[in-house]
Amino acid sequence: MTINLHINENPYSPAKSIQKAAIKGLEKANRYSEPKDVIELKELLGKYNNVSINRIVLSHGSDLLLREIINIFSKDRKIIMVNPSFFSVSQYALKQALRLTRIQISTPDFKLDPYLLLNELNEPTLLIIDNPNNPTGKILIDGGTAEKILQNKNVLLVVDEAYYEFSGQTFASMIEEYPNLAITRTMDKAFSLAGLRLGYLLMGDYFKEHFSDFPIYLSTPTLFAAIETLKKPENMTANVDKILNEKIRVEKELLKTEIQVFPGKANFILIKTNIPDFGKKLNDKEVIICNLSDEWIDGYYRISIGLREENDILLSIIKKMCKNA
Amino acid sequence: MKKIGLIVNPIAGMGGSVGLKGTDGEIYKKAIELGAKPTTPERIEQTLALVNRKELYFIVAPGKMGEDFIKKFDFNYEVVSKIDEETNADDTKRVIRKMMEKGIELLIFVGGDGTAKDVYDVLGLTIPVVGIPSGVKMFSPVFALSSFAAAEIINNESNQVIEKEVLDIDEDAFREGKLGAKLYGYLKVPKNLSLLQSKKEPSNVSKPEKISKEEIAEYILENIEKDTLYILGPGTTLKTIADKMGVKKTLLGIDAVFNEELVGKDLNEKGLLDLIKKYNKIKIILTPIGGNGFILGRASKQFTPEVLKLIGKENVIVVATEDKISRLECLRVDTGNAKIDNNLKGHLKVITGYKTETIIEVK
Repeated sequence: MTINLHINENPYSPAKSIQKAAIKGLEKANRYSEPKDVIELKELLGKYNNVSINRIVLSHGSDLLLREIINIFSKDRKIIMVNPSFFSVSQYALKQALRLTRIQISTPDFKLDPYLLLNELNEPTLLIIDNPNNPTGKILIDGGTAEKILQNKNVLLVVDEAYYEFSGQTFASMIEEYPNLAITRTMDKAFSLAGLRLGYLLMGDYFKEHFSDFPIYLSTPTLFAAIETLKKPENMTANVDKILNEKIRVEKELLKTEIQVFPGKANFILIKTNIPDFGKKLNDKEVIICNLSDEWIDGYYRISIGLREENDILLSIIKKMCKNA
Repeated sequence: MKKIGLIVNPIAGMGGSVGLKGTDGEIYKKAIELGAKPTTPERIEQTLALVNRKELYFIVAPGKMGEDFIKKFDFNYEVVSKIDEETNADDTKRVIRKMMEKGIELLIFVGGDGTAKDVYDVLGLTIPVVGIPSGVKMFSPVFALSSFAAAEIINNESNQVIEKEVLDIDEDAFREGKLGAKLYGYLKVPKNLSLLQSKKEPSNVSKPEKISKEEIAEYILENIEKDTLYILGPGTTLKTIADKMGVKKTLLGIDAVFNEELVGKDLNEKGLLDLIKKYNKIKIILTPIGGNGFILGRASKQFTPEVLKLIGKENVIVVATEDKISRLECLRVDTGNAKIDNNLKGHLKVITGYKTETIIEVK
């Protein structure tokens, strides 16, 4: 059976109670979803994030929110993003932006120089940062830098925190204070709901004006599953703990080989290797990882953390490859 | 049936195992004396074994330059031209010309940097190529990463092509442990994505390379300053800028433009120094070499430390397509003068499209 380690999915299926909730939603599939369920989900997300519900926008995946932000706010602003970044969003920015500056982060540590960034904020700007970054897993800005950015009223800061539950770092507590801050989140990753696509936005006052009429197209199975998930967040935290422990184990094992490992704060590992056809050789054994040469630099791969037995298969193939290289 | 050319440089790579760092010129005879074995058969057979497209019709070089390998597989093919026991660069060029007469739409070649140069001499930017690496020197970004990757490119050939550099490595210097490379030309290669695609969304929807270059050129033209000497480095991006200015630029040389008129063509160091002394305001426009990211010290040796001292970092403009810059970890300089190199290091803005730029570190 194919082992999918290429798109940062959660290897653990949703708990039985969540599956049951989604099926219950399916039983009502002949009807449109009901506003009361939307409100219940927002209330649970508000509680989870300690944010009032009028600051939350729901969406079918966070990509759509980021695209909408680019559509609305890039007309009279320069967009600044880092490269590499969440590829589908950065490609969209490239297509839509009237002015775009990308800041390349590079080896050895893929750090974003805060002074370099702050120096670029000298005109109306939409700054989009994934924190932690995908595919490096690095935290690119800390709270101090975020505050400095947000004190500049000319700048709208949008932070994609898709991997917040793994990194533990969020700027959600700054939403009340800073009108120019927005945060995108997803229940695809830590909450094991990738197939249902539930993203949401936490937004400061400036964004609220523009998102008041954002349509909500969520299906009832999605709403029911998300509500059930948030009622028992301990399932999620237990899975996140297991994934992070596995990540440490996989990193340690990879470090024993000649492969270069870049530790990060998400549920994936960035590696670099000169072994020819590394990705293809794994693919031939039905282990699929993300080959970043399509979008970025040859030799870099992103590996999502799977179940322990899946990671064992991955490691044994890699070790054999390294031996034969 | 799609017609595909196949040519193998039978001696490419033979110098490697015996430490000769290449087989250009007469060196390969020494390699044979030292007991070197050909590496190309293994490479081409690995690729052909994985090619699964049935509608291909191969036009192949005779004997050990192609025929000997293809006949082991179940492909439709015909052989063109003739060769002697000993083969050289002239055979490669002659056979490719014959293949072009037969109407090939893609050329697969096996060899190293020297072979890529021969291919460029005949094809230029006409039809796309797939280079299977088998040489000792394979610094040209034109090559596929491996023979397996080459098969993937052939099997999933896309309509989009990108231009990749053919580098001319000084083999004598390379044997002495020095890496001297200059830009020799460009070949078109199919822009293929790996088979390890994300199932979540179609990836890489970036603009075609040609459009990116035109956008860069448009932006440069809009911001061009009057009464300023613009020195344009080598490369197709710079050529696009010159075309937009309405001047005829050499593809691989360094040319100069003043108020939309060509005032220097294929300049060497002396030509540059003479010209720089005549003008007050000077800017140079450069593009990095794909793969290694060198903006100075590889493709444009004419920009010597003496020339660069007179220009200054603030007058260096770097342009590159988004696709090219995204694939670089950093830009590099190696002018031969540590002080000038250090002055150029740090972060630099690269123009990547119309009002689009990337800030990247120069190392």
